[in-house]
Amino acid sequence: MPAAAAPPASSAESPPALGARGVGLSFAGLRALDGLQFEVPAGGTSAVIGPNGAGKTTLFNCISGLYRHEGELLLHGRPLGRLRPHQRARLGVARTFQTPALLDGESALQNVALGAVAHSRVGVLDSMLMTPRRRREEQATLEQAFELLRRAGIDQLADRPVAGLPHGDRRRVEVSRALMSAPTLLMLDEPAAGLGAEEARDLLREVEEVAGPGTTVLLVEHDVALVMSVARRVVVLDSGRLLAVGTPDEVRADPRVVEAYLGAEDVDEPAPERLHAVSEEAS
Amino acid sequence: MTEFLQQTVSGLTTGLVYAALALAIALIFQGTGTLNFAQGEFATLAAFVAFALSTAGLSWWLVVPVLVVVAFVFGAGVERLLVRPVENSGPLALLTVTAALLLGTNAVTALIWGTDVRSMPSPFGDSVFHVGALTFTAQALGGGALVLVTMLVCGAVFRFTPLGLRLRAVADNPDSARLLGISTGLMLAVGWGIAAAVGAIAGLVAAPTLGLSPELMTNALLLALAATTLGGFSSRLGAVVGGLLVGVLSNLASRYVPGIGGDLQLVVPFAIIFLVLLVRPQGLFGRASTVRA
Repeated sequence: MPAAAAPPASSAESPPALGARGVGLSFAGLRALDGLQFEVPAGGTSAVIGPNGAGKTTLFNCISGLYRHEGELLLHGRPLGRLRPHQRARLGVARTFQTPALLDGESALQNVALGAVAHSRVGVLDSMLMTPRRRREEQATLEQAFELLRRAGIDQLADRPVAGLPHGDRRRVEVSRALMSAPTLLMLDEPAAGLGAEEARDLLREVEEVAGPGTTVLLVEHDVALVMSVARRVVVLDSGRLLAVGTPDEVRADPRVVEAYLGAEDVDEPAPERLHAVSEEAS
Repeated sequence: MTEFLQQTVSGLTTGLVYAALALAIALIFQGTGTLNFAQGEFATLAAFVAFALSTAGLSWWLVVPVLVVVAFVFGAGVERLLVRPVENSGPLALLTVTAALLLGTNAVTALIWGTDVRSMPSPFGDSVFHVGALTFTAQALGGGALVLVTMLVCGAVFRFTPLGLRLRAVADNPDSARLLGISTGLMLAVGWGIAAAVGAIAGLVAAPTLGLSPELMTNALLLALAATTLGGFSSRLGAVVGGLLVGVLSNLASRYVPGIGGDLQLVVPFAIIFLVLLVRPQGLFGRASTVRA
């Protein structure tokens, strides 16, 4: 196993960034998630993969607090219980969507600045009375938001309304907004969608670098090659059930994953080799 | 020409009241996606409270800020106690609640203060000013200025403050806002509070001219709804412009179009709105939205 895939020594003592204990959810009788049990180590990038309808985005919605679910989710060892979405955001949970969910009437800079709300100390009264504390914090927020746009290479779009921006730029604005909240768990839902392979890997490298060691990045991604090249832990779902969890090498070698994800019968070469080839190509 | 200008100015004065009420309606529509039919009754209740405070000896300089604070707390409280429990029950449930609030607030007002029309003194005095050939009452000038300042402050809060950014975020995409750490519940309550405060100023300014009674804002509500439709429910500026247009056009039509006057004056803005919506269904300033079938 490559050294890079091993968790850092410090994380062996710290609780996992995310723990799932018997997480389940049904929609009108349809079992969308069924008894999920896994852990995502703190730090670096991990991923959730699975075919369409596997329950990946549903799992993200549960972690965000948008869906009530059975079982328990733990963030750095702390049960999330029935905390509401904005309370989870304040604990450090941030996410992006398959289709960037931006405020179309606002500029790129304002969209990114909104990410600071989770940790803002400016209350409603401060804001209405325009206190010096509010002015100082607002100035610092805008400067930080601009810096994130600069690092994402789109600072020239800072004052442009996001409504007219191309998909790739909207995604960068959304990722910058998520980073603005200084998350401890950053969930990216198909960040590579609409981006080229190299562009997607650059984006993820940039995200890891900007987020720093205190942030765990959790991807939902269809691009297996991308996942295998960046993730240290891979959670594989199929029809709402946990199929496998482990390092990319462990997952790649798991016959259940191969069968569910690629289909074992209709291919000329054995599926494990195909998965391996994909990973070679990615690196 | 002088008379035309005088009629226009007079229309702008009443239009400002419609504009403030329309702004309040638009604020709540943007936050909760529903029409608050009780907005006019909230304003009427506020006018009665102002009347009571004034007759109790409180200076008008104090009545205005006290009224704004009381109205804000009342609006936020209504959202918290009566609207929030049904906020996930669909738009029809919310409309039913606001219709019930209209009837309930009207009944409470009539119960406390009676149904007779009372004369309310103008907070701005009875002076009359002449500028060239035009005549202005202190009530029209002061009331107009008060409504204008209220709307500007409201606009500034929405446009330039972090609170405004959060309110806009909740109006634009509530789910996304929640995931950013914004308490949508708190923001909706604040939005209802601001709307009630803006409406309270409209009631305070309308009462000395129209006479204080539980029916004070009945027509004004209809015209404010028309103004919001004209300007676009998704636009605060549109609601204000719509209110001013409705005030001016109905005033001019009643003076210059033969056969229109008195109650028939009410028909004019609706006819104009009908024509505008044929061309621009989202209103003059509104954004078109699509709903997936």
